[in-house]
Amino acid sequence: MSVRNAILGLLADRPRHGYELRAAFEAIAGGEALWALKPAQVYTTLARLEEGGLVTQDGVDQDGGPEKHIYSLTPAGQAELAEWFASGVPTEHQRDEFFIKLMLSLGNDNANPYRVIQAQRNRLYQELHDATTHRNQADPRVELAQIFLLDKSIMHLEADVRWLDLIEARLDDIRRQPLPRPQPRPRGRPRKKLGIES
Amino acid sequence: MNIQLTLAARYLRGRKLRTVLTTLAIFFGVLVVFGMNTLLPAFVNAFTSNILAVADQVDAAITLKTSDAFNVAVADRVAAIDGVQAVSGVLERSVNLPADYLDHDPALPDPATVLTLVGLDVPQATALHIYNVTAGRFLEDGETGVAVISESLAEPLGLGVGDKLTLPTTSGETALTIIGLLPPRAQLGDEEVLVTLGQAQTMLAMPGLINTVEANFGAVNDEERARIETAILDELGDTFQLGGLSSNSELLANFKVAQAIFTVLGILALLMGGFIIFNTFRTVVVERRRDIGMLRALGASRRTILGTFLAEGLIQGVIGTALGLLGGYALGVLGISTLNTFMRNMMNVEIGRPTVSPGLVIGSAAVGIGVTLLAGLLPAINAGRLTPLEALRPAVGTLSLRRLAGVGFWAGVVMIALAVAALVSRQLTLIGLGAALFVVGLILVAPALVNPVARFFSGLLAAIFARSGTAQLAQGNLTRQPSRTAITASTVLIGMAILIMAASMFTSVTAGFGQVMRRSLGSDYILVPPSIALWGRNVGAGAELADSLRAVDGVAVVSSLRFAPSETNGTAVALLGIDPATYPQVSGLTFSQGDESAYDALNEGRTIILNPVTSANAGADLGDDVTLVTPNGTQTYRVVGVGGDYLNAKLATVYVSQANIAADFNRTEDVLLQVNLVPDADREAAEAGLQAAMRNFPQFRLISGQEYIDQNLAIFDSVFQALYVLVLFLAIPSLIAMVNTLAIGIIERTREIGMLRAVGSTRRQISAIVLAEALILSALGTIFGVVAGLYLGYMGILAMKAFGYPMEYVFPTMGVALALGAGVLFGVLAAIIPARQASRLEVVQALRYE
Amino acid sequence: MSLISAVNLKKVYGSGDTAVTALNGVSLQVEPGEFVAIMGPSGCGKSTLLHLLGGLDRPTSGTVMIDGHNLSDLPDNKLTEIRRRRIGFIFQFFNLIPVLNAVENTALPITLDGVRPGDAKTRAAEWLRKIGLGDRLDHRPDQLSGGQQQRVAVARALVADPALILADEPTGNLDTHASEEIAALLRQVANDWGRAVVIVTHDPRIAAYADRIIFLKDGAVVDQTVLEPRGSQNGQNAEMVAGKIQAIGD
Repeated sequence: MSVRNAILGLLADRPRHGYELRAAFEAIAGGEALWALKPAQVYTTLARLEEGGLVTQDGVDQDGGPEKHIYSLTPAGQAELAEWFASGVPTEHQRDEFFIKLMLSLGNDNANPYRVIQAQRNRLYQELHDATTHRNQADPRVELAQIFLLDKSIMHLEADVRWLDLIEARLDDIRRQPLPRPQPRPRGRPRKKLGIES
Repeated sequence: MNIQLTLAARYLRGRKLRTVLTTLAIFFGVLVVFGMNTLLPAFVNAFTSNILAVADQVDAAITLKTSDAFNVAVADRVAAIDGVQAVSGVLERSVNLPADYLDHDPALPDPATVLTLVGLDVPQATALHIYNVTAGRFLEDGETGVAVISESLAEPLGLGVGDKLTLPTTSGETALTIIGLLPPRAQLGDEEVLVTLGQAQTMLAMPGLINTVEANFGAVNDEERARIETAILDELGDTFQLGGLSSNSELLANFKVAQAIFTVLGILALLMGGFIIFNTFRTVVVERRRDIGMLRALGASRRTILGTFLAEGLIQGVIGTALGLLGGYALGVLGISTLNTFMRNMMNVEIGRPTVSPGLVIGSAAVGIGVTLLAGLLPAINAGRLTPLEALRPAVGTLSLRRLAGVGFWAGVVMIALAVAALVSRQLTLIGLGAALFVVGLILVAPALVNPVARFFSGLLAAIFARSGTAQLAQGNLTRQPSRTAITASTVLIGMAILIMAASMFTSVTAGFGQVMRRSLGSDYILVPPSIALWGRNVGAGAELADSLRAVDGVAVVSSLRFAPSETNGTAVALLGIDPATYPQVSGLTFSQGDESAYDALNEGRTIILNPVTSANAGADLGDDVTLVTPNGTQTYRVVGVGGDYLNAKLATVYVSQANIAADFNRTEDVLLQVNLVPDADREAAEAGLQAAMRNFPQFRLISGQEYIDQNLAIFDSVFQALYVLVLFLAIPSLIAMVNTLAIGIIERTREIGMLRAVGSTRRQISAIVLAEALILSALGTIFGVVAGLYLGYMGILAMKAFGYPMEYVFPTMGVALALGAGVLFGVLAAIIPARQASRLEVVQALRYE
Repeated sequence: MSLISAVNLKKVYGSGDTAVTALNGVSLQVEPGEFVAIMGPSGCGKSTLLHLLGGLDRPTSGTVMIDGHNLSDLPDNKLTEIRRRRIGFIFQFFNLIPVLNAVENTALPITLDGVRPGDAKTRAAEWLRKIGLGDRLDHRPDQLSGGQQQRVAVARALVADPALILADEPTGNLDTHASEEIAALLRQVANDWGRAVVIVTHDPRIAAYADRIIFLKDGAVVDQTVLEPRGSQNGQNAEMVAGKIQAIGD
């Protein structure tokens, strides 16, 4: 899970307290608007990491305000971080809310799948417009990394738009085929799903 | 600069090779037209300059329309007319001099080949003219044996006052003592030898005759002068005329023929240039279709597009024409130096430099630029018609071109049909029109025939270059653009057609004339005057020459020709007096109407034999009456036959008996004599005897009949060689057109060639494709060209026959062989550059080409 | 009043059995200063629509009003004049005359309109400088990159001060970077210079620059999306964007 690993990575830089971690994460991830973390999520994660022996409380920082626990990385945490760096990050394209919506609209008399596609496309174009505007306003001399992050979303949005065109063109063919039904559950233990961690 | 001109200039610069090739085509067209037409006036000048001088200094020079001589009394009748102040009767005559007559030195150029012998009535002449004698004195009335000449004649001859000048006359040579010198001659024309009227009449055997009356009027205003002129003509009758030179010259008829031939050649050359330009422009329009569409989309009007193309045409037209004018002048110089030999031998006339009149320059330039613009016009209009969208989408445009080709095909069929109909009509003007129609029709039909013919030839080539598959590819490339292929082939077609036509004409002319020559110059010996076409300029001989020839041992028959100028229906004719009894023995006419009995009929009253040229001109046939202008008024003659001989084939000629020519035309002088020997005569002795008998008549040259025929055939050959050079000039542009088309095709197919190379074609195979393409292309043009040429040649000969030339159609086997050879050669030559270009393309670059 | 007002446009090519309906009742309005993208699968009639809007072709039925002129009423020479003065065109290929340099190409529409060549060149050079090609004035098309050529085409479209710029796949032949440069430039044309811009494109990234996207399918408008401006896009300088895009590329 990325927040967990990101906290390990940030602590590898230097020991920090929870508030610092949250701010640093948001800065790197592209800003509060793009990926906001709730303080609770940070503290829950830190607690779980500490429980697993990957981080440890290093002291308390108290500049007249409420006390803040400072965390640092344990050797086990460093090993975990090294493994994260060494392995690939799984992507999540297969889990797509829009796809589910489209599939359901095929069987729903009150929904028009074409309108569903159009609505999605309108949204995608608006996002593409926003990302492009945003990207074009960034200053490449200091914000190159952010620009590339925006480029990534522009490229994905473009791909999504093209995919919409594809599926729109074949929608009638899809409709002619039966919707996927649940498989009759085999007896015994459920088979382990491949590739997807929870 | 104007946007059209800017664009035009830039596009031209962008395709240098093509621009050069296209401009070259115009260059050749203008070169031929201009060159030919500078030649022609040079001829006229040469002939007329010596006649021109007559009319100077006096108010009126009165002559017979036929230039013939008339009675001295006419001068008095003119003098008696109210308003005429002074008259002077003159007998003047050009005297052709044999080569080296004056200087007796073959190594030196002759100081003069023609002199004008002028007999003056001294009191009358000195009243009209002022003679500034610089040495000695002027003539006195009644003097004989003396002459006055100019310093410019005396100097090269090394003569002074007191020296003798010997001239050939009809009664042998006459020596004249020079008694005075005039200032150097400033005007054009031949040097004059002034003698008294009596002296001239004796020398020319024309007693009591003059041929010009010069007159001065008292009046100066135009109205009064016109009145006097009318009064003179009223007095003398309509056989006389005022002024110097007129249509009486026998030459003019000759020139008209030459002019017609030159004009046809020039028009064909321009037609060809026009086609090359048309072809190029069409290609350019197709190539630049997207640019055109873009310009139109941007708001360029149709006129702007049209203007851009026309500006391109204009630039090329102007440059090509300017260079063509220079080249044409050079061609004129070259042509004159070639033809001079012929002219000197045949007519004793020296031609000067090519004549360039402002009118000709303007005319040639207008025609050159005009043809360019005209040829560019249709493609340019097509370009202007393209809607922006059509231009941006290639497929639509091709369709419209194909539709055009369909219309053209049927138009072409109609034209060819009309041309054939014209041939059948036997109307000369229609036949000429038909020739043009035929060529244009063939060109229009050609696109539709490209496919089948190309397929045939590719089959042929495939059989030769089996395996490699190049022929099929080449055929595919050509049939893909049938109209461009057809137009290129058309330029080859025209070139080949001209070649074949010329060959047909040459072979037929040579064969025809050779046949006639053997017949009409069949005598053993001929006494030839310096000029055999311009009889009037020769000084002949009196009857004593013929008599002394007859006296030579071994001579069987002597027959002579006598000459008088005349006119019928306003056209000049040369009258030849023959002896009906002896003429058939030494010579012979080839009859087209009537037969040999016509000779005898000449003895019966006023009867004539017309040569076919005269018959056609006058529209007179056997049995018709023809009016001839004589010095004593007009006389009516009956036609007893139509037939021609070699010497006078090109000229309007009428044969009469020597009795009639003496009675009506006062002519008794022999201008050409033919001699036959007895069968077993000693030739050498006879020849020596003949030489001796004609010692006093150096104006004649003795030549054996066979030798004369050979000489003439040799002259024909040299003239034809010169004409073949001209034809070659016409063929070069078609080569250029082929190179052009092939090169364009390769530029267009750059990617395709890259692909072929990528999939494993060798450079050699690529070259072979281009070569095959060129060969098919030139084969197309050659086949059509040979067909067209045979047709045109046949038509031309028919036309000349209708004019009255003695010729038979001879199939030009050599010419066809030559054309086929040239076709293959052109194909190979045209392929060289494009093939190299194609085979040298780098695969990667070619594939990247847009 | 709208700058473009197209009502119920139909275009049929050919006749009889081979007739192809390219447009089947398209209506469309474009306001001054608006940037509209037309999208749709190939063969949907989007180029045909653009051609009709530009007076390059005439509709089988329906009307096109540009700037108050009814194009279907006009004879060819009037139409040509409207194209010259009121409309700027940008095409995918063959946009420039190969034998003219950048200034001359840019100056073409006004030269064709009879502006004195000296003045025309001055105006053309001014536009070229505005779009950042001030140092390429004398270059021939073959001495310019694809993106630069297309920018010259944009300058040319602008030089006659038309109210409307029509672009048919203006980036179709360009790489991503150059495409975005052109798109940003067209955005600037609409924003800063107040021209209406209508482009046909199949590239979502280019369409995303527009204010409005019209989706065409089988000759009819099937959808339309209005893109809300985010951030301070107005006044954004295309040259700056181009510079940035360049910097990213480096």
